[in-house]
Amino acid sequence: MKRGFAFGLLTLALLSCAVLGGCRKQAAQTGSVTPVQGDGKTLRLFIWSEYIDPQVVKNFEKQFGARVITDTYESNESMLAKLAGGGSNYDLAVPSNYAVPGMIRAGLLRKLDKTLLPNLKNMGNLFPRLDYDPGGVYSVPYQFAATGLAYRRDRSTPDPRAWSLIFGPSDTLSFVLLDDPREVIGAALKYLGHSVNTSSVAELRSARDLLRRVVAKRGFRGFDGGPGTRNQLLAGSVDYGQIYVGDLLIATEENPNVQVFLPREGTTISLDTLVVLKSSRNAELAHRFIDYVLQPKVGAAISNFTYYSTPNLAAKPYLSELLKNTPALNPPPKDFQNGKLEFIGELQGNRTRRIYDRIWTELKSR
Amino acid sequence: MRRTSPALAAYSWLVYGFLYLPILVLIVFSFNNSRFGATWQGFTLKWYGVLFGRSDVREALLGTLLVAIPSTLVSTVLGTLLGFGLWRYSFRWRTPLTFLMVIPIVIPDVVMGVGLLMLYALVRTVVPFSNGLLTVLLAHVTFQVSYVALTVRARLAGYDRSLEEAARDLGASDLQAFLRVTLPLALPGVLTGALLAFTLSLDDFVVTYFTSGSGFRTLPVLIYTNVKRGITPDINALSALLVGVTALVLVLASVISGRSSAFRRSARRGREDS
Repeated sequence: MKRGFAFGLLTLALLSCAVLGGCRKQAAQTGSVTPVQGDGKTLRLFIWSEYIDPQVVKNFEKQFGARVITDTYESNESMLAKLAGGGSNYDLAVPSNYAVPGMIRAGLLRKLDKTLLPNLKNMGNLFPRLDYDPGGVYSVPYQFAATGLAYRRDRSTPDPRAWSLIFGPSDTLSFVLLDDPREVIGAALKYLGHSVNTSSVAELRSARDLLRRVVAKRGFRGFDGGPGTRNQLLAGSVDYGQIYVGDLLIATEENPNVQVFLPREGTTISLDTLVVLKSSRNAELAHRFIDYVLQPKVGAAISNFTYYSTPNLAAKPYLSELLKNTPALNPPPKDFQNGKLEFIGELQGNRTRRIYDRIWTELKSR
Repeated sequence: MRRTSPALAAYSWLVYGFLYLPILVLIVFSFNNSRFGATWQGFTLKWYGVLFGRSDVREALLGTLLVAIPSTLVSTVLGTLLGFGLWRYSFRWRTPLTFLMVIPIVIPDVVMGVGLLMLYALVRTVVPFSNGLLTVLLAHVTFQVSYVALTVRARLAGYDRSLEEAARDLGASDLQAFLRVTLPLALPGVLTGALLAFTLSLDDFVVTYFTSGSGFRTLPVLIYTNVKRGITPDINALSALLVGVTALVLVLASVISGRSSAFRRSARRGREDS
């Protein structure tokens, strides 16, 4: 967390530096130097770890006679900080949806050339409104996951399948929450019937009061990331855990007793997107890669490897049985439209950001 | 011989347990037949097989050594000279310079990493280049130099400058006095500094991450960027191997130095006898 925070600050510094005065001239200069064309055969991909099937990359290399250089990162903030500093010449990155607007404003992204992306037609219309990038000018959805509640079916039966299990008044179950401010505050807001991106002070205050009670419960076992929560559930040391569906599902092969559901009050979704960077020297090859990923079978192969949901509707028939048959991974399209499932969006205004920060700091330092 | 009190012994064992239990757990779980390492699923060696099949780990290991060895050599030379200079000469800016030397040790890695990143961006407006091995090397040297200089200076601080003067009185040139008198005195400090610099380079994640550009990775970067979706047991296997190799090197080093000091002792005794 501490490192994440520091990265966040520095990203802010770097981005504002890129946007405001001083560095602008420099950015413009490097912009004019950019025509340093690549060889058209090397693709530099910056992506989350374990987020693409190595076989897909190999097949792409073979088909296009290209070489793919892959580097990984573990948070949007550290990815942004490195990109904003320059000197790395990446062609493609995979930011989460809420990081995209900032990247557009900082001039880090290229407009997509849709004539090079004929397979976009496979995508379908799962997300009709892309608030983070209206019209998909800069980004193409890659993989997504809803945040669910995981449990051990050999230890308890969730009834009701809802956030009220852990946010309600009873205190008989042990649980962990995700170590992420937007996810935790978002879940509380959903439980209370509000939007996860609210800037209403009254709604945020009620979420804060609720979370104060929740973390004071005897059953509360702390905040943890996806792998940590997964391991605690596998070891059977907690009853419930808030977790990205994909992070839990990967463990069902080892122990079918770990299960996950989407709470009925609604929940958050995080979507990662493919973007072509300004610094790209092989932008055409980058487009080819995106188009390659958009093929139904390739999209399905990636999901089968990551255990995350594919936004590509044409890829669904090629998913593995486990992925096809997990409701938490295939939420019905109407839940996206009626706001039951909400993207975590950019917060509006500094004041709202400060409120979220204050709530989180209080919860973590209890 | 005095017996240690049981309380003190128990305390010592606790301290060692605190230091070594995490490493022990890590090694044990490299033999666990589970992808997640939450529960014990039986003994296996398959993760070592997986590890040796991973080309990215091999490349990262090579990258780590390509950075650590040259950067240690460069920073040891520079740091020794700096430490020597600060001890040997008194001049107007000595105190502020000594203070400046400590700063790279004190400031957080993140600040250092981003500072270097921005400096490189500035230089790039004049001379176009891409970040990679060379930029990481330079970055590592910048933080290693201070450690070497500090240990060398601390080692020399106990010696009087008159030793060097005596050497010159007896006809040694400046260079001879340095090589024959001062350097041997400082040598333990130089070696400690070099060892420290080497480990720092092996360990570093933050500065390396920021300055490495694309396509160049070291082991800490490879491992740390994997935490988001969980570390796989083959990384445990790698860590176990690294711990094993380090222990082996330490044992060898202490055997060699034990032998050489025993040799020196017996040589001295021989001289006294005659």
